[in-house]
Amino acid sequence: MDFRTLLLNEFVFLDGGMGTMLHLAPGELPERLNLTEPARVAAVHKAYAEAGSQIVYANTFGANPLKLAGTGVDPAESIRAAVRIAKEAVGAGVCVALDIGPTGQLLPPAGQMTFEAAYESFRVMCEAGAEAGADLIVIETMSDLLETKAALLAAKEHTALPVIVTMTFTETGRTFTGCPVSAAAMTLEGLGAAAIGINCSLGPKEILPMMQEMAKWTNLPLIAKANAGLPDPVTGEYFLTPEDFAAYMPAFADCGVQFFGGCCGTTPEFITAIRKKLENLRRGRRAARRPAAVCSGTRTVLLDMPRVIGERINPTGKKRMKQALLDGDMDYLRGEAIAQTEAGADILDVNVGTPGIDEAAVLPMAVQAILEVTDLPLQLDSSEPAALEAALRIYPGKPIVNSVNGKAESLETVLPLVKHYGAAIVGLTLDENGIPLSAAERFAIGKRILEHAQRLGIPKEDVCLDCLTLTASTGESGPSETLSAVRRVREELGLQTVLGVSNISFGLPNRPLINRSFLSMALTNGLTLPIMNPMAEGMMDTVRAYRMLAGYDENCTNFIAAYQNAGTTAPAAPAAQNDNLTLEGAVIHGLRQDAARLTQAALEQHAPLAIVNDMLIPALDAVGADYESGKVFLPQLIQAATAAQSAFGVIKQHMLSQENGSQADKGKIVIATVQGDVHDIGKNIVRLLLENYGYDVIDLGKDVPPQKIVDTAIANQVKLVGLSALMTTTVGAMEETIRLLHQQYPDCRTVVGGAVLTGDYAETIGADCYAKDAKATVDYAKTVFGA
Amino acid sequence: MNPQALDRSEILMFLRTPELDAHLSEMLENCIETLCKAAQPRTVYRVLPVAHTAEGVTLGGLPLQGADIALHLTGCKEAALLAATLSAPVDALIRRAEVTDMTRALMYDAVAGAAIERVCNDLEAEIKAKYPYPYYTARFSAGYGDFPITQQGELVRLLDAPRRIGLTVTPHQTLLPMKSVTAVMGMSQQPVRDARRFCCGESCAECPYHEDCPQAVLD
Repeated sequence: MDFRTLLLNEFVFLDGGMGTMLHLAPGELPERLNLTEPARVAAVHKAYAEAGSQIVYANTFGANPLKLAGTGVDPAESIRAAVRIAKEAVGAGVCVALDIGPTGQLLPPAGQMTFEAAYESFRVMCEAGAEAGADLIVIETMSDLLETKAALLAAKEHTALPVIVTMTFTETGRTFTGCPVSAAAMTLEGLGAAAIGINCSLGPKEILPMMQEMAKWTNLPLIAKANAGLPDPVTGEYFLTPEDFAAYMPAFADCGVQFFGGCCGTTPEFITAIRKKLENLRRGRRAARRPAAVCSGTRTVLLDMPRVIGERINPTGKKRMKQALLDGDMDYLRGEAIAQTEAGADILDVNVGTPGIDEAAVLPMAVQAILEVTDLPLQLDSSEPAALEAALRIYPGKPIVNSVNGKAESLETVLPLVKHYGAAIVGLTLDENGIPLSAAERFAIGKRILEHAQRLGIPKEDVCLDCLTLTASTGESGPSETLSAVRRVREELGLQTVLGVSNISFGLPNRPLINRSFLSMALTNGLTLPIMNPMAEGMMDTVRAYRMLAGYDENCTNFIAAYQNAGTTAPAAPAAQNDNLTLEGAVIHGLRQDAARLTQAALEQHAPLAIVNDMLIPALDAVGADYESGKVFLPQLIQAATAAQSAFGVIKQHMLSQENGSQADKGKIVIATVQGDVHDIGKNIVRLLLENYGYDVIDLGKDVPPQKIVDTAIANQVKLVGLSALMTTTVGAMEETIRLLHQQYPDCRTVVGGAVLTGDYAETIGADCYAKDAKATVDYAKTVFGA
Repeated sequence: MNPQALDRSEILMFLRTPELDAHLSEMLENCIETLCKAAQPRTVYRVLPVAHTAEGVTLGGLPLQGADIALHLTGCKEAALLAATLSAPVDALIRRAEVTDMTRALMYDAVAGAAIERVCNDLEAEIKAKYPYPYYTARFSAGYGDFPITQQGELVRLLDAPRRIGLTVTPHQTLLPMKSVTAVMGMSQQPVRDARRFCCGESCAECPYHEDCPQAVLD
């Protein structure tokens, strides 16, 4: 039976639980049975086929190389056997699906398994399944959207089989990793699934409302495969009878579900009961078009009103951002992401294009770092298709790609990527002849871009057009032509409209005023996606006021929430009002804003280095001494360090703005949490303190391979490497790193720390110093570099 | 989670500080509030047969390695294998704070420690109510004593924890989400040998488990 033929049926019947039917003994591995007891597996398939299942899932759910490692079962061999067993058991009238379950590990941002490792494991499964003659591929019980994407891409890129996908949600309407139904639906449809749905975790009663929600977000056929109710918390057994289960199915049919089956606790009797219940029923009709929206793995943003795209993560004209990118300082990007999120941005633009940066390597890294600290959807911004593709692969969700333009080369290279990865796209209304001056010509290019996109199967609601803001000073008709083009695109094509708002004021005085005014005009003319700085004065105010006045803010709820406390300030921290406060005092008392303000003032009279040496470090020493003598404790120490950090931020910014840029750095130190370890709060505290004392810290982050640490140390000729490990299982990686350092870069010293280490143990693994805490690391650094 | 349910003195212990000034106390209360809102505690457990063999002890057929866990379960015919997690949003909260304000990150970390302890205590009470035995051992986790942390993966699989509560384990045996616990609690008709966690009785500061141990005495 061909899957596409099956799709012509009003309803398609899947199978029920496999584990339930195999009656596994404790510790028994279902995938081993394909090789040892094929008859036992075949009997299950046969029973389902006889009950009326039109698709059976081969016994391959856990036949993933990552899961079977160490079991002695070869995944490909088990899969080939499983597909063969199923095909023989059910005959030609029933489709056999290769069944792919999760790896059991998490991908970023929640976990540390790489996209590539997950993809590779799924590729092995897909190729074995296709080779053995599976009719389709099922990806099921997925919780992590990025893992699901890895599996779906592996299936699509290595086989020609149809792929259907079901994810598993908790009673919160989200998966364990926080993925909402809407994000799952739009992402999986964009990536080319043939049908999508929900399986496992809950019973039909709990799944029904989520299914109704999913139906709103996709045009694809829907799949429902619920458990037989909720399990007994102790025994794990299920209690819903086949009839009780089937009683829910007409409601599923009503919301448009086409594929019906069961998951844990269901048996062939359930399939029989479902078939009987749905006899003579028809699927409910569904809305023809899904809403315009984008998402991250944890948040959906509907494009149903003006949404702000934060522009701050872009090195153009920003020295500090450029420097951060060149230094690989992802924390700076993370900080900008958090600040824009808190300021009210809905989507964040990410652009890392600057000379000296390999965008194809850095863009995905930046995307991953940013998604660790914000759940906003991202706009991937690059003119390099290779960089876009690298970021598109590892992005969990549906991003916007910025951008394609009317040039043939751009349309031919960028749009296929957008289609393949199911993204939304920004089209710039320029072409081989540059940016046309008139609105009519820009509109025409925009229309052409839309037509190209639609020809490739990119739906209209995923196309956004940027009619391009030209600087107002270059010609008095510029702004009105831009606005007129925006209005036409919105009214005549019904597309989302994008503008980089602040370009309007370039080269003019009082830019904030021009930007605010132009933003207001553009919104009135149909701008839906302003790219802007959400922290810039008055910009978010304008957007909020517009949303309220234009009827997007029911009962003015959001506007009131944003401004009802305006005018009242947060309670003052101690001594904040003290006019006699010194920079030293601000650091000692942990007053961040004051420390920054006083540093700014000090820079008018003192050299940066003098501020560091004569004010910041003595203050930190004083706190450090109090900490060691037990007068203050860790929270106070860290608070002082954080205040000093904000002072250093000001100094760094100041030095970047000076052309000669004299360095205050006392020396470079590489620090890392070793391979396998993901607990890095201790390492981050060490970084903070080292930076406080003026050291230039290259922080490689967590889970860092030994050779990478060594290579970085050599490339930067650092004198000291700091390593952190929290787990007994990762101390081995620490030892290995030190061994490699001794071998390849013997002049470098090492300092180690972390919960499982002791002085003696540090000596055993060859470290030069064991630091019991962050303060001790600083003390050791002083001896290495000379205080 | 209910913010009032968390033991303030335990949080201070995790912060390694005897007291906080008014400003930091206010910050801590705010961190407790925020973390309790973010946390989605989930638990799963199974009560499994314990068998003592010549090689050691097995739990639901799974051989548990090391002498300490065997000693710990002496006299027990059953034990509860349990797992608890505060779920992914707590990890995200701490990650964000590590970028914006390390003091808050430190506080969240300590609050999460107390919160997961609380979740485990509640779960323990629930299990005890359902499985009344005269005696129970304390919760004993992989990584205590010579019960190797490398068995973490097997324990998680035995509970079907990835599917049941979204708790996974990395190839290096780290639980993810990070603020999670697995443990074994023995149940016995006879008095149990050691009601405390594994403890060598020597320096807590040198003990690799002091961060997890509410009884740890640090100078």
